[in-house]
Amino acid sequence: MSGLTASMPRLDAEVLIIGSGAGGATTAALLAEAGIDVLIVEEGPWVDQGSVTPFSLEQMDQQYRAGGVTVALGLPSIAYTEGRCAGGGTEVNSGLYFRPPVDVIERWSAQHRIRDLDPDALSVIAAEIEQALTVSTVPGRTTPASEILRDGAAALGWQHNEIPRWMAYPPGGDAVTGKRQSMTRTFLPRAFAAGARMIVDCRVDRLHMAGGTGRSAAVTFADGSTGVITFRDVIVCGGAIQSPALLQRSGIHGYIGRTLAVHPTVKLSARFRDEVNVPDDVPVHQVKEFAPDLSFGGSASHPGLVALALTDHWKAFSKSVVQWRQIAIYYAAITSEGRGWVRAIPGLRDPLVTYRLSHRDRQLLRSGLARLTLLMLEADAEEVYPSFRGAPIVRNRADIASMQQAFAVSKASVMTVHLCSSVPMGELPGRSGADSFGRVHGTSNVFVNDASLLPTAPGVNPQATVMAIAIRNARHFISSRSTTDTRSTTDTRNIKGHHER
Amino acid sequence: MRPVPSAPIVGPFADRLLALDLPHLDPARRRDTVEFVTRRVDSLPSVMHLGVLVIATVFRLVVATPLADRFVRLMSHLALPLLGEYVRLVRSLGYAYIWESWPDTQANGASTPEHIR
Ligand SMILES: Cc1cc2nc3c(=O)[nH]c(=O)nc-3n(C[C@H](O)[C@H](O)[C@H](O)COP(=O)(O)OP(=O)(O)OC[C@H]3O[C@@H](n4cnc5c(N)ncnc54)[C@H](O)[C@@H]3O)c2cc1C
Repeated sequence: MSGLTASMPRLDAEVLIIGSGAGGATTAALLAEAGIDVLIVEEGPWVDQGSVTPFSLEQMDQQYRAGGVTVALGLPSIAYTEGRCAGGGTEVNSGLYFRPPVDVIERWSAQHRIRDLDPDALSVIAAEIEQALTVSTVPGRTTPASEILRDGAAALGWQHNEIPRWMAYPPGGDAVTGKRQSMTRTFLPRAFAAGARMIVDCRVDRLHMAGGTGRSAAVTFADGSTGVITFRDVIVCGGAIQSPALLQRSGIHGYIGRTLAVHPTVKLSARFRDEVNVPDDVPVHQVKEFAPDLSFGGSASHPGLVALALTDHWKAFSKSVVQWRQIAIYYAAITSEGRGWVRAIPGLRDPLVTYRLSHRDRQLLRSGLARLTLLMLEADAEEVYPSFRGAPIVRNRADIASMQQAFAVSKASVMTVHLCSSVPMGELPGRSGADSFGRVHGTSNVFVNDASLLPTAPGVNPQATVMAIAIRNARHFISSRSTTDTRSTTDTRNIKGHHER
Repeated sequence: MRPVPSAPIVGPFADRLLALDLPHLDPARRRDTVEFVTRRVDSLPSVMHLGVLVIATVFRLVVATPLADRFVRLMSHLALPLLGEYVRLVRSLGYAYIWESWPDTQANGASTPEHIR
């Protein structure tokens, strides 16, 4: 793999795709396979899947933006994480797969006036994704931390499922034997096979616009040198924080960056009699009894993350840190009515991100933490350590009431890994940032095709929905170009070979 | 590269906080941890980085006085808005690094016999 250097300060592409995550990689593969000259520019490095320990600090250093320390300011602030590497979030995520929910798609279509957004058509695309990513359940044993969720929910009579993942397992393999079928293993190789080129370690700083038409992109390489990429069309797939920020930096404002939506979570750690901690994997079971408002699942539980979780009340919890092998971390996630902002600030490299939880969100987080604690006790947890400042240790049902009394969302470590909706698509005047197929309103050739387009957070793990919509939009882009486009396609492949993967 | 490296500003406070929180942590490990914390602060997104450096500068000035330990102890127990967040950030990064690097570290920072061997 080679990146572009200062010796290649000018490039050209028919279609420039910014970002190589769930949206960018799928878009690149489809466009390249349709014979379009595609150049993908990715800010982060190429890291071979499996070459760093999953969910470790080393992975955060290499593959997350800002080492995983990113925050949406608010009361409380919400810590969020974004992938920043070839493949984006798909390289580092838990791989839990949900088809785009039919009721959500129908609601989006009606309420946001999205043309031709058909749940049946998305289901067909979802089936293609399942095949491309080998989506499956674990053939062998799931991890003890996962079985705790299953057993606790079963004891309470709550609905629970094993969630399939985009993992390739050997026959009969246990959960930890799965190989994540991220974009660097699936859609990016497909794009390369069809002739797409990719530059890694290269950030697009802004688009140069002439009226409503994007002409070129100003980029900075890892060594600090700069360059310009000209294009005919540009598709921004930087994720729900970076895409609106890039558009704003480029002078495109409209309804951009005003409706960030997330699935906020509160967490707890629970200690069991036996060893339950599997540092390199996450639970595959989820509890859906109160979905879509509230879902429970398991988080990465590396010893470092256990220690971090216990810092919420270190004085009371610290003695347990040496028992981290008996501890696993779990979350309660909500569908939030709150909304956030992404604002590019002149002179600063990164945007300001804020988020405001609604009253209902706060109530849901409170009840979610209490119910999750109950589930842990039903699964025979010896002690539960809720993640909020000054939280008490919970050892029995009676303790749950006092925990609830002590709880305030403002004291909690609220987090999210699902970021959406900052450039919502649709035809609602003044309420959508892009049209029904991702073209940014007020522009002729600037498109968005990532999680930013989802009109709301979908209430389930979002990657499959992001990919399905990206594939739908990519097909629309290809078909509208082949029917209406008579613009000349200059030979932009003359630079091919200097820097492709 | 950031124009203002955080090590001279954040480092001394992080060092004092860890020394008081985890009195048995080996000084070499503490140095490693402080280096990790400052590296992470250097890579924070712009707005956070600016905010942290402003607060860290105030803390840095106090840490240079004879009141340092008393101040750090006080700050680490008070949950003040913004100031408390800074303490929380340094502590979270530090603890995550310590237990990820040396998972059998005791609650007071001591290494286990296995680690000393
Ligand atoms: C820790 C974690 C766990 C998750 N678990 C799950 C899960 O189990 N199931 C699920 O469905 N979803 C999960 N998600 C969410 C899922 O990964 C995202 O919804 C999905 O990746 C979003 O796709 P995207 O294309 O919008 O953005 P991303 O996948 O984030 O890709 C955006 C890419 O664009 C690049 N980029 C941004 N700006 C620029 C720029 N200016 N120039 C060049 N490149 C740029 C970034 O570096 C990044 O690589 C998880 C996410 C995380 C972080």
